[in-house]
Amino acid sequence: MASEQTLPIVVVVSGFPLLSEAVEGALEGIAEVRSFPAGRGETADFLQLLQPDAVVVDSAEEAEAATDFARESRTMLVHVSLRDHRLRLMHNGRWQELPDGSASPERIRSAVAAGIYLRGVRV
Amino acid sequence: MRRTGIVVADASPIFRAGVRHLLARESDFEVFEAASYAELAAAVSAHEPDIALVDLELPTTGGVAAVSRLARHSTTSMILWSFEATTDTILAAITAGAKGYLPKEISPSGLIRSLRGVIRGEAPISRELATVMVDAVHGLEERDRVRERAVVLSAREREVLALVARGDRNRQIAQALSISEFTVKRHMQNILHKLNLPSRRAAGLFYRSAFESEQGAVSVMERTG
Repeated sequence: MASEQTLPIVVVVSGFPLLSEAVEGALEGIAEVRSFPAGRGETADFLQLLQPDAVVVDSAEEAEAATDFARESRTMLVHVSLRDHRLRLMHNGRWQELPDGSASPERIRSAVAAGIYLRGVRV
Repeated sequence: MRRTGIVVADASPIFRAGVRHLLARESDFEVFEAASYAELAAAVSAHEPDIALVDLELPTTGGVAAVSRLARHSTTSMILWSFEATTDTILAAITAGAKGYLPKEISPSGLIRSLRGVIRGEAPISRELATVMVDAVHGLEERDRVRERAVVLSAREREVLALVARGDRNRQIAQALSISEFTVKRHMQNILHKLNLPSRRAAGLFYRSAFESEQGAVSVMERTG
């Protein structure tokens, strides 16, 4: 009997549930997406609890809240700025700004998949 | 079963993908995408969708103008959506032909419920917005009543009243209209008498509510007692 393969976990913390829908669609078959509403002040705690393989947020506040976890666990942190269509990525503790207009499901998928791969999780 | 056609008109591929992914789980929806006004117009023309979700900041026209251009010539129900919009913007969109407004923070279940409601002829509008709209309609009615009252004023009296509403003193009004201060005072007395208003301040409020505010006109009678 074949054992059930476990997918990497990606946490989305967002004030826009449709972002979670888009990320879920983009990562179908690649990762399991778990969504949480933004602004509750619990992000740092449940990231420690869940130990996801990548994190996607849509506000500077949630990015800040997820920073310590991302640094310590060397997890890819993706900050999507929905209003100005921009992405910034944190990996190995450093932020990298992507050019304007880069916020797309495909770019998020690439960033998350790269982060998961670099972390040594088999995708 | 005929599926409900939805075109998501939004420059953000994330929101387009979000709606597409959400509605793919529902068997009664068919989703089209548009990233600009031109693509929206083409999609409406080609697919005749039941509903268009139009972003307030849709390139290159903006959502309100897009609704205005398309609502008159198609049977597609236009719904404006945005991150946040002022009530003025939403009212402008509805005046332009939009059937409702949805915030982009909407939950997946809320969006599906709203879209199905549109098909049943319902207007997706929040309770807060419904209150604003009722107030706006009452404001327009009130403004019309106030304007009717102003019919008794002569053209010169109306000119004087406009300057009073602007906050001008009698001397300034006299200079502006090339008349004496005495004449200004006489016009002012006539205005107050004809409109049955108690004071100069009330007259200024009357003018502003009748002629300056396109919405939310104030009740002069209530304010002046």
